Amino acid sequence: MRNTYLRLLHLVAGVLIAVLLGIHMVILHLDAILGFFGVDATEPTSWGAMISRAGQGIWVGLYIALLAVVLYHALNGLRGIILEVTPSPRTERIVTRVIIAFGIIAFIGGAYVPIALWTS
Amino acid sequence: MTENNTKRITFKVQRYDPERDSPPHFQEFTVPTSRGMTVLDGLIYIKENLDSTLAFRTSCRMAICGSCGMLINGYPHLACHTQIEEFHSDRLTIKPLPNQPIIKDLVPDLTPLFNNHKLIKPYILRSDTKELVNPTAEFAQEPQELETFLQFTYCVKCGICVSACPTSASDKLFLGPQALSQCYRYCADSRDGGKQERFPVVDTDHGVWHCHLAGACSEACPKGLDPALAIQLLKRQLVSGALRLGKKPPPSPVVSPPTETKPKIPFPEFTVK
Repeated sequence: MRNTYLRLLHLVAGVLIAVLLGIHMVILHLDAILGFFGVDATEPTSWGAMISRAGQGIWVGLYIALLAVVLYHALNGLRGIILEVTPSPRTERIVTRVIIAFGIIAFIGGAYVPIALWTS
Repeated sequence: MTENNTKRITFKVQRYDPERDSPPHFQEFTVPTSRGMTVLDGLIYIKENLDSTLAFRTSCRMAICGSCGMLINGYPHLACHTQIEEFHSDRLTIKPLPNQPIIKDLVPDLTPLFNNHKLIKPYILRSDTKELVNPTAEFAQEPQELETFLQFTYCVKCGICVSACPTSASDKLFLGPQALSQCYRYCADSRDGGKQERFPVVDTDHGVWHCHLAGACSEACPKGLDPALAIQLLKRQLVSGALRLGKKPPPSPVVSPPTETKPKIPFPEFTVK
């Protein structure tokens, strides 16, 4: 059932992207609408607001989670496309390993920035 | 076929003999046709009157055997189930089914299709093998249980769904809509208990999850089946199994056949003495 679990995770990651990216978009780019509903989000894209968010654990967690689900969803999808045109099991193994390695490196690199800002 | 109501149609047929030709090429034949004539009738006319070396596969001529699948004017059809006048054209381009190797002319090699079909174990699997081998009674099945998979039992294994499938075109290891829909057909059968043997076959990198749901298989099926639906239902069974959702009823029990049979309908009176 490995492929079923991978595909289920792919679908869950897709839903999580919609939720997490939705939060990001609403807070950062729809501040006028938030103001309409009485939420004060003054200049959320300013440097000060960004540094302030970087110090809050909930935002760090949100961005690291968004990075993880985006990487999984994108790389698992890419793997599926590549496997469709690779008729050899050996090539499949290489593709899977390269994609896992790339995903881990990209996650470490991407997660470093919010963690470094949070701990500084 | 009288001269008055015949129309002459050009059949542009792909020819290929792997022992003589390097690339496939086209040959044109002019065939006199009449109302109701099928593409297969036209090909038989060519073989009998114009070129006896033309190779194509045919058997029942009534869309039951699934032998005469071919690409007619760019779309896969059963030649015996397709009338020439459906195309409203004076020219028909006929090629062998795509996504399969060609043996000769219009004869595709369906070995991969049947190999994939065999992989999913297309027969009833149960733990009580003694009863399967030497049956003493019947496996009970309600009409409602039969309805859940009945349409998929009408598959004639013509290979048209595989030819129409875009995933089969790009992924040569893909199991294909035929095998996957037949896997659902047996997994959905209340008499069957073989999910655990079939699921590992379809739960692979080239199995059920590789279906893009293009729906071309359902559109092309000459028997009106919906293999795309079967694949989606098979995915649902896999997810339910993985998450341990829903009830898992055991295979239907063995029941004795009814002792009372319906009275036979009397043979009608002879109308001619």
